[in-house]
Amino acid sequence: MLENFKYIFVIYLKPGTMLPTLYSAVEQVIRPGRGFQLAFMIIIGILCYLSYHMGKRGKTWEIRPIEALEATYEGIGRAAEMGRPVMMLPGISDLGNPQTLAGLTVLGEVAQRGAEIGVPTVTSASHSAVVSAAEAIIRSAYSAAGKPELYTPGKYVRWFGWDQFAYAVGAAGHILEEKPAMIIYLGYFLFDTIVDAETGSRVGAIQIGGTIGSLDMIAQFCDYILIGEEIYAAAASITKDKMAISTIAGQDWIKLIVVAIMLLGVISMALGSKYILDLLGV
Amino acid sequence: MSKSLIYVRTYLVRFIIIVGLLSALASWYLVSPQVDTVFNELSIWNMMISTFTLFVGLLTVVSRYVTNITRRGAFWPYQIYALIIIIVWIIMGVTVGIYSDIYQTAFLSTKITLHIAILGQLIFFMVSGAYRVFRMRNLRTALFAICAASVATLNSPWLLGVFPEADKISFWLLNNPAMAGQRALVISGAIGGLFLGFRLLFGLEKGALRVTEA
Repeated sequence: MLENFKYIFVIYLKPGTMLPTLYSAVEQVIRPGRGFQLAFMIIIGILCYLSYHMGKRGKTWEIRPIEALEATYEGIGRAAEMGRPVMMLPGISDLGNPQTLAGLTVLGEVAQRGAEIGVPTVTSASHSAVVSAAEAIIRSAYSAAGKPELYTPGKYVRWFGWDQFAYAVGAAGHILEEKPAMIIYLGYFLFDTIVDAETGSRVGAIQIGGTIGSLDMIAQFCDYILIGEEIYAAAASITKDKMAISTIAGQDWIKLIVVAIMLLGVISMALGSKYILDLLGV
Repeated sequence: MSKSLIYVRTYLVRFIIIVGLLSALASWYLVSPQVDTVFNELSIWNMMISTFTLFVGLLTVVSRYVTNITRRGAFWPYQIYALIIIIVWIIMGVTVGIYSDIYQTAFLSTKITLHIAILGQLIFFMVSGAYRVFRMRNLRTALFAICAASVATLNSPWLLGVFPEADKISFWLLNNPAMAGQRALVISGAIGGLFLGFRLLFGLEKGALRVTEA
């Protein structure tokens, strides 16, 4: 680490050698090829905080209505009318997968809205850690809705094993048993969606799905789909929380930067330069 | 719940998450043996805690199953079956080792057979779903059906003999719109995932954070 200080001193001692020296100093600290990743992540963090700060100071953002999320409200109301539960499946991955986290955030919001009007939300998960998280989320959703007495441990969350197809068949059995009015598939799904979503359509449930995995399967079986990043914005959109929505605006800024980098990359490659590729560490 | 317990569940958990996250990020990006040492140490702790929770999970499952079986609660016959399987596999793992031929053969013979049974059923689910989707009710479903028919033709040699042009159309569909769409999904998904992570860290996404607030 002492070497880096030497480089920084050289910047002041030898004017004109600033950039090359700075590059050398950075290479001593950051692993080769990961400098851009780090800078990009820091920029994302700054923009996220900036958009949050602007939201806090009163700036309001419009978020376009997402058909699948509008259907969520409809589905909870339908479940109340039919006297059936709502089912939310967070997929076959563990808590390390952001798609699972997106599913769990939606589970929290759906469970709370359901609890407010007396609609139970049931779920099943593949990984044991997700089962524990889902159990805690549903318990606190009932507390937040002011009805903690309605929560019963083990009633709302089932575990059918970590294996993809064990989960698929178990969840299909759960669907047949509970006959939910609405099923939300939000998380990491593969072929297991086929078994569950087809079973869901047999019991007449409204089906809403979103994944980065097998979106084609979701599109084939579900009535409404969440595409790409929409799954991550779903919980913020459902709550209509101003602060959370403001960070989605920051997400759009990042998308503009990514599109600009892509265009620059295409142009530079067309001109025979690999500068953007080198910059990205590809 | 006492205030101190709420404090532990809310703030301590968040603190641990942030420390773990920062050490992982620093180890990934920075050239520093000290940071690597901290990250490796935390990984070992993580492994130890995971192993411990596995035992806790096993004890919980056994105690709940035994209670339910003695009361003849719901699904008790399946729970007897599960308990027998658990005991048999533990004895096998301890006596012959999990990497032994007999253990691996027994495990894979069971698992692969069951997987094949499910995969065999999948085709019926897919046909049933495809029947609903490929009815051309509007422009979108018509496009979906045509694309699917084209790719299905590519994978059927006898159909490819009848419609040789399907080869070019299918590969064009797979290599251009499908690949572009898939990449767009992956890029937007990655950005969305990063933002979700920041929203969770800033405490803006309430749903999942409820885990630490109960």
